[in-house]
Amino acid sequence: VSVTVADVIERLGLQAAAGAEEAGAEVTGAQVCDLLSHVMAQGRTGHVWITIQTHANIIAVAALAKLAAVIIAGGFVPEEETIMRAEEEGVPLLLSGEKAYTLAGQLYEMGVK
Amino acid sequence: VSEDTQPVAHCEFPILGRAYFLGGRASTSVKQALTKHGVAEELVQRVCVACYEAEMNVVLHARSGYVAVDIFPDRVALCVVDQGPGIANVELAMTPGWSSASDEARALGFGAGMGLPNIKSQADEMQIESEPDQGVKMWLVFETRANS
Repeated sequence: VSVTVADVIERLGLQAAAGAEEAGAEVTGAQVCDLLSHVMAQGRTGHVWITIQTHANIIAVAALAKLAAVIIAGGFVPEEETIMRAEEEGVPLLLSGEKAYTLAGQLYEMGVK
Repeated sequence: VSEDTQPVAHCEFPILGRAYFLGGRASTSVKQALTKHGVAEELVQRVCVACYEAEMNVVLHARSGYVAVDIFPDRVALCVVDQGPGIANVELAMTPGWSSASDEARALGFGAGMGLPNIKSQADEMQIESEPDQGVKMWLVFETRANS
């Protein structure tokens, strides 16, 4: 079953802060991580990345690693620069008040493995 | 790898030390240059991962620097140069998990000691030269992999 970023936004009740026009992209996997180097090394095209980092570098990592979307969990608020950069790079930047653990579980239930 | 061929293209991009919020700009420019010159996607991806790590090393540790890219028909060569404190012990710095990053950098999710090992795993050739209090020069070569 193919899952898109738009499906994830709807199912997980996410707020799109930027890059919503790229929500048609297919989601091929996911990771939960706050170390940027680890995401850089392990990230694959189409992955959704759940993090609590909020600075603009998460967008640089997502764009370079060709991730499908970044979810900022735990109610953390992205910096203005992060939202601008996400718009610029066309990276969906999604927000949630839920814990990273909960979001990961929901993604898994959706068939993202 | 033939050393005598001229690069198809050469470009350089500056890197500003301490400017966390600009981190990744140079790597993004490198990616655009590689894509523009028709470099294979798999190769672009490997160069970008390594370039980002090298760029962030400059941002986190040095005052300033630049990345120079040479695109060849069968490979991409990167040279990352910075003016900064240098690396006292290159061998030690290559150890996964070893880091001299500040607490500030670590709080932002950098400085996990994975940068140099990540670069090594992406590149086909890697060479580091460092003078204490002068800076670091890193040469990287990425070859096209026939089976990709």
